[in-house]
Amino acid sequence: MSLFLVSLRFQLRLAPRSPGTLQVWATAPLFTAVFLSIAEHAGRTDLTSYAIVAPTLMGQWALALGIAGELITEERSQGTLEAMIATPCRLSVVVVGRICAVSLLGITAMAEAWLVAGLGFGRWIAVPHPFVLGAALLANAAAMAGTASILSSLFVLMPSARIVQNTLNYPLYLLSGVLVPLSTLPGWLRPFGRLVFLSWSADLFRDALDGAAVSGPAARIAVVALLGLSGYVIGALLLARVLRRVRRLGTLTHT
Amino acid sequence: MYPSALHLVRYGFLNAVADFKATYTWRSWLFGWLGRMFAQVLFFTGLGRVLDQPGAVRYLALGNALMTCVVDTMAVVATTSGERRAGTLSLLVASPADPVWVFVGRSLHWPISGVATASAALFGLGPIFGITWSASQVPLVVLLTALTALGTYCVGLFLAVVVVNVPRLRNVVSNCAYLAMMAFCGVQVPVGFWPRGIQAVVQAVPLTHTLRALRAVSDNRPAADVFGPVVPALLTAGLWLIAAVVTFRWLVAVPARRAGTLDLSY
Repeated sequence: MSLFLVSLRFQLRLAPRSPGTLQVWATAPLFTAVFLSIAEHAGRTDLTSYAIVAPTLMGQWALALGIAGELITEERSQGTLEAMIATPCRLSVVVVGRICAVSLLGITAMAEAWLVAGLGFGRWIAVPHPFVLGAALLANAAAMAGTASILSSLFVLMPSARIVQNTLNYPLYLLSGVLVPLSTLPGWLRPFGRLVFLSWSADLFRDALDGAAVSGPAARIAVVALLGLSGYVIGALLLARVLRRVRRLGTLTHT
Repeated sequence: MYPSALHLVRYGFLNAVADFKATYTWRSWLFGWLGRMFAQVLFFTGLGRVLDQPGAVRYLALGNALMTCVVDTMAVVATTSGERRAGTLSLLVASPADPVWVFVGRSLHWPISGVATASAALFGLGPIFGITWSASQVPLVVLLTALTALGTYCVGLFLAVVVVNVPRLRNVVSNCAYLAMMAFCGVQVPVGFWPRGIQAVVQAVPLTHTLRALRAVSDNRPAADVFGPVVPALLTAGLWLIAAVVTFRWLVAVPARRAGTLDLSY
């Protein structure tokens, strides 16, 4: 636990100065403006919550995926990856702690989106279910860290993580209903979307910002947490396997 | 005898081709990049499906399909500032040849890739959303896509020159620039939706005009509606290129040479 907290604190110190964080903070208001303008132009003020939820999840995921890739690349380029791996600490815990930090930081994108909706479009969104939203945000941040850690192991093997990072974003946003509910996707695609924690998080966030009662919030938050935990377990197993391989081949710094 | 501007652009372009080959294989471009861009078009168009507004899906699909070439082309900001990371910027500035023309050729692979991406989106995805083209419209669509890519390339070159001294911001600047274009230039909603100040500013962006022309082609409107916006698109593209050249020569290279800081502010 202390290793997790140390990693989280370390990344929280680094993140505010990183270009990746700056990019999310700079782009979240623009994404909000894009989505809100579409809804407002069509006279669909009821879709304002969609325009707040999507930039939040997109920002968090971009940060999580970014750090999952850069973490390994940067440690490798600084020559500290071997030292990290040589220590008795579990690398997977360090990875998850650091990704968790940026996922939590990414929640600030929701505050930005909320402000853009209010100041820019005069749509001040109430939060009728603050506890559901708070719990969902925390579970989502944890799930994001767990899921993104799967990719870290992949990035150990790859010379450049950038292309994968660039390629994965939009297909995942589309599949998991980050902007619009999964019901708008073709029927055969929806079960795949349900396997991604983002689809549960997006629905929960939208419901928490809606006036109607949220149905089964605890169970849905548990699904987000469970999917995140599955991601972490898969990520940890993959990372251990990949590290065994690169150690045996002596290619840790070459790949 | 020093090489002419045309030679420099050509040498730069050869670099661009090599760079592109090092970045993508045809498989990773087709299934990775193109797949990603198709997903982006579907993502933004998806919001149109819940709007219950006639024509919304078609409007969004056309705008976002053309937008893919803008996204692709804006990578010029990253590759130009890459010269500094690679340590070759000082050599370029020190050489008797004008580095601006090297920069002009250096990232030409992005607008070419952009035209291919947007054409695939317009002709491949378009029909799913009711956007169909007759055979006689196809050359015009490709031409307007190419004009969009080249106009955006000039905007991107200007931004690249501006951030050449702060390369860590290259992705922030290029992403914000294309998102601002996506928001305000008529991609998602008509330009008239925005306040007058924004409407005036976006007239300086080539995309605003080329997209208007493309929508006119798609709606089978008269030739004047199609070719009218081409003039301001060309004009604004030329002005952005001039701005890039002037900014690099007088606001970046000369002060950095004098101060000897060309490689220090990274």
